[in-house]
Amino acid sequence: MAVLTEDHSRSGFPGSHQVDPIPVAIRTRPPSDPEATGRFAATDPPRGLDIARLKRVGGLLRDRRLQFLLILPNQIIFWLVIAIGIVGTVVPGLNFATAITWYLWFCLVFVMMVVVGRAWCAMCPFGGFGEWVQRRTFFKRTTKSLGLGLKMPERVAQYGFLLSVGAFLVLTWIEEFFNIAGPGNPMATSFMVLGIVGTALVFFLTFERRTFCRYVCPLSALIGTVGAMGSVAGFRTRDRSVCLSCATKDCMRGDAEGFGCPWYTWPGSADSNAACGLCTECYKACPSDNIGLYLQPPLTSVVAPSRRRADVAWSVALLFGLVLYQQVNALGAFVSLDNWLNTHLHFPQYPNPVDYVGIIAAVAVVLAAIGRLFSVAFARRDVVLAPGGTSFVERTSRFRSYFVPLMYGIIPVVGADYFARQLPKFLRYVPRVPVSIGHLFGFGSTSSRLYHASLIASNAGIIAVQDLVIALGTAAAMWASWRIAGRDLAPLSRRPLAARVAATALAGALGVVVAVLYVWMNAAN
Amino acid sequence: MTITETERTDTGRHVTVLVDRCAGCQECVIRCPAGALSMESASWTAQADDALCVGCRQCERTCPFSAIVVEGPLALATRVDPPVRHPVELHANVTETRPGYATWDEAIAEANRCLACPDPTCVRGCPAHNDIPAFVAAIRDHDLETAHAILRRTTVLPDVCSRVCNQAAQCEGSCTWSLAGGEPVAIGRLERFIADQVAVPAPVVVEPTATALSVGIVGSGPAAIGAAYELLAGGARVTVYERDDRPGGLLVWGIPDFTLPDVVARRPWEDLVAAGVDLRLATSVEPGDLDQLLEAHDALVMAHGAGQAMRLSVPGADLDGVGTATAFLQGAKAALDPGGDPAAFRASLGVAPGRGRRVLVLGAGNTAMDVARLARRVGLEATCVDWLDERFALARPDELAEARAEGVDVRFSRTLTSLEGFDGRVVRAVLSHTTQRDRTSAPVVSPDALDVLAVDLVVMAMGYRIEEGLRAHVPQTPIVKRHRGFAPGRWSASGILANPASPACFAQPVGALALDREVGLWESAMPRRERLWAAGDALTGPSTVVEAMAQGRRAARAVLDARPSRDGRAHGAEPSSPRVLVAYASASGTTARLAEVVGDELRRSGATVSVLPVERVDALAVAQADALVLGSWVEGLVVARVRAARAMRDFVDGLPWLGGRPVAVYCTYGVNPRTAPAELAHQVEARGGTVVASATFGPGDRAEDARIRPTKPEAFAHRVAAQVLTQRARATVA
Repeated sequence: MAVLTEDHSRSGFPGSHQVDPIPVAIRTRPPSDPEATGRFAATDPPRGLDIARLKRVGGLLRDRRLQFLLILPNQIIFWLVIAIGIVGTVVPGLNFATAITWYLWFCLVFVMMVVVGRAWCAMCPFGGFGEWVQRRTFFKRTTKSLGLGLKMPERVAQYGFLLSVGAFLVLTWIEEFFNIAGPGNPMATSFMVLGIVGTALVFFLTFERRTFCRYVCPLSALIGTVGAMGSVAGFRTRDRSVCLSCATKDCMRGDAEGFGCPWYTWPGSADSNAACGLCTECYKACPSDNIGLYLQPPLTSVVAPSRRRADVAWSVALLFGLVLYQQVNALGAFVSLDNWLNTHLHFPQYPNPVDYVGIIAAVAVVLAAIGRLFSVAFARRDVVLAPGGTSFVERTSRFRSYFVPLMYGIIPVVGADYFARQLPKFLRYVPRVPVSIGHLFGFGSTSSRLYHASLIASNAGIIAVQDLVIALGTAAAMWASWRIAGRDLAPLSRRPLAARVAATALAGALGVVVAVLYVWMNAAN
Repeated sequence: MTITETERTDTGRHVTVLVDRCAGCQECVIRCPAGALSMESASWTAQADDALCVGCRQCERTCPFSAIVVEGPLALATRVDPPVRHPVELHANVTETRPGYATWDEAIAEANRCLACPDPTCVRGCPAHNDIPAFVAAIRDHDLETAHAILRRTTVLPDVCSRVCNQAAQCEGSCTWSLAGGEPVAIGRLERFIADQVAVPAPVVVEPTATALSVGIVGSGPAAIGAAYELLAGGARVTVYERDDRPGGLLVWGIPDFTLPDVVARRPWEDLVAAGVDLRLATSVEPGDLDQLLEAHDALVMAHGAGQAMRLSVPGADLDGVGTATAFLQGAKAALDPGGDPAAFRASLGVAPGRGRRVLVLGAGNTAMDVARLARRVGLEATCVDWLDERFALARPDELAEARAEGVDVRFSRTLTSLEGFDGRVVRAVLSHTTQRDRTSAPVVSPDALDVLAVDLVVMAMGYRIEEGLRAHVPQTPIVKRHRGFAPGRWSASGILANPASPACFAQPVGALALDREVGLWESAMPRRERLWAAGDALTGPSTVVEAMAQGRRAARAVLDARPSRDGRAHGAEPSSPRVLVAYASASGTTARLAEVVGDELRRSGATVSVLPVERVDALAVAQADALVLGSWVEGLVVARVRAARAMRDFVDGLPWLGGRPVAVYCTYGVNPRTAPAELAHQVEARGGTVVASATFGPGDRAEDARIRPTKPEAFAHRVAAQVLTQRARATVA
């Protein structure tokens, strides 16, 4: 049994008689490290991109008020949304609740996730409110928390982001059913936001840390997957050996300066930005100043992770199904289908849950079938797969070894698709945001010139922008798929080059399908 | 050997690693005593081998993300516990009631129950921090000399502590088996086995040189014993002043022979006197003598204990037949010694035949139990009453059970309302019922519910406190043994703090108790005034033998570390560079950067410097520092509530007594610091620090590239260095 050599105090005064006797009795086993360096090499951001090294940035990140100040404006805005949606004008374009939420915020969230990652999570008022209540403080480090502090049951937690995907699908269906973002009655927007805040609060008071954000938040899976394209790697270790030999793991447990990571992420083993909420707690808590805030080249968290997660892959497939559904439902053929189903199933209105679930599931199943096809067409029979565990995220199979990397590869298409889907509202109506703000103070109306202004008014212009976004996303997806297939699929395949080409072609084909759909949609909202 | 699938499932234990939550930090892997956990490299998560798991739940307690669940029974052999002896004939019987292990087989069987935890919580639970897994391993190796050597690193009273310690609230309460809900390893009995089989080694003595430190110790209890051993090993000349005519304090007069035989209690002082300690018995030290003693010695360690018995003020408390535990214990012990006469003792108490034998003992703590059990042995009937609820009793559970087995009537939730007398002597006690909601709330007296007891003698055994005279001359005593703020990371990491309150630990979590005890240990390293340290009950108020001994050792090491001098003589060692602790509270990083600037300048001046944010400063860092520099940002709104940051104010409030240590303070501000530095300085002085320099740094003072002349922070550092170095020089060089 090896002895970890521990410093006998943090005071750093050598040669003293006063040696703390406890560390002398600590004989912990050495941490397992043989593969750590190589294993994480591909995902470790370049050392020079640690912006926490900049004094001002480092000081800012160290400040306990930082996240509070990020959350506070959004907190104010969304409580205004709740209030004004209920008591304000029923004209959607003039109501601050509708205008800020659907013309600006939703689009901005996508920009943030594509560029940064979980930037929104760092400033989210929904989780932020729950966390303030749970911690009983706005920003101070407290020891006692409010609530039951339960763990998310493993039979649910093992599915990772999939619960969040489910929440997103349900919320989207509700939004479509009540035409909340349509935009419909602004009051509906208020109730939706209030519902999210209330649900978040219940979860924060029932479970520990940010269980809600990690597993339940409707946006978490979307940001966690699409955000992998982002150029912020999150908080990562500066020297992995320091983390491995750290005797206290304050970044996980918390100490006087910071809470333990609310997202259950350890900077010492993080290999993507998927579960880093950018809350800065680990940075504050680290006793060795061994955590930095790293930038990374775009798509790194798509291409590089060696531990690819099945929940992420299925999330991508389902989320792609959802956005394709939203594209398809703008087509005339779908309207006929939905009406036919509603008539025969006695369902009152669009969207019929059968075609809603059916189309999403069908897309996911088709993608899974493609994965299966890849495994049948390319897999080498002599490759022995690593033994997996019994839980959902641990299981291994030949199908998964193809399906999961393929889904990672198409993340940029899915991300671009979601972004492009928000563009018509943004491009047409975002000038209404200042009008709705003015309306709160008694000026600004539907007769304002700004109210009728657009960034791009013509359908052709909007379609062009949408297809440009899709083209960029498709190119990124093809590049990512080529790289991923080269590393993950080629060693498993009988014809490595063909597997790479096929994976790249899949990403390209999906991009073409999406782009064509945008043309057919004709810039529909 | 291959483990079959049946054997795997037969254990009934199953470890579940919650893989989505496991971050691969390996806290469980490095601490698992059974080696049942390893890393799965593909997923970089922990994986468990159920067949190897012993069910100790160490992994559950130490996982930072609570990502492990262990189910199933503990793989734990039955504890080897020689039964407590309940003498058939109690009268005059002082045979030890708790026997030790009689054979190697028993000791080895018990030693084999120890898991040798890689991060042993028992070591944190032991107030002396004995390396328990190591000495247990030495027992397994039949190597008791090595076991003694391991114990000697941290304790000088293994024979005593193994008998008198409340292990259930200390080492055994912190044993990993205990934390998992099982029977802990009998650590106390194993320690005793070592001391029973091989004599405790004599003190290590380094012959004093001509310039050796001369240290006086006031008192001869466990704290004094600990200090004397340590000082002898450090080459100091030791003089002990004891008021009584026998050394040992509490050990010899306060603990009955059936718990601590006289021969064991006498052993430490026989060894110390033989090793050269100048023991001056029947020498009372009064407050007025302290200055004289400080002139005679380079340092004083106050270990005079807490010997003033607490009395209850109720009607009738001044009647004949009402006495204190001290007098009773001393008298009863003498009566039960060879040649003593219990009947004569009874007669001296006025409870002669024909006049009744009923003793009412006020209190139900350990002292009360000793009084009551001694009373039984001198032929009296004893009833103990305590106003606490039994759930929150202060007596050791085993002591309480033994007392009851010996016929002591122990009644909780009762308090004495009045004593009634006849002919000037107590004959009746009126007791009220009480109720207590929780451990921290005071019991509430119900005036309607009364018990009336016929009594012939009342002994007040409600505890002790430090005698007022000396206490007034030892500043900031007694200290409050309460750990404030965040637990040190290693304590959290070990898992000792993860357990809830336990009845065996006075309805408190064992980890919290252990952490509170650390405060006493660290405070004992701090001088209470110039060249004067305090340890044991004199520092903390009534405590335990092992804590007092450990504090005595820690105080002695602090003396050896500081090497104070009464007349400026050098003590043979080269004067070391002064150690300066720069502690800062920084919001934006400015104060932290200035702390580094000040630190660098001090280093250039020859000081050994440690720069730390206040949150990371532990008691050891403060204890080791010859001087402190405290830097804080200024909070408030320009004119309102402008003061040093809350973190700094809390830090200063939590500092141990600084005993005149030089302290420099600086504040950084944006607009106007107002009185923040002065208030901070005042706060430092209230903690016994001597403020040697004070400065404020505004936006214009923080230039980091001044090449022509020193910046203001650098000039401040020069000033601090000059003060510290001058004081150091004054202290170390004639």
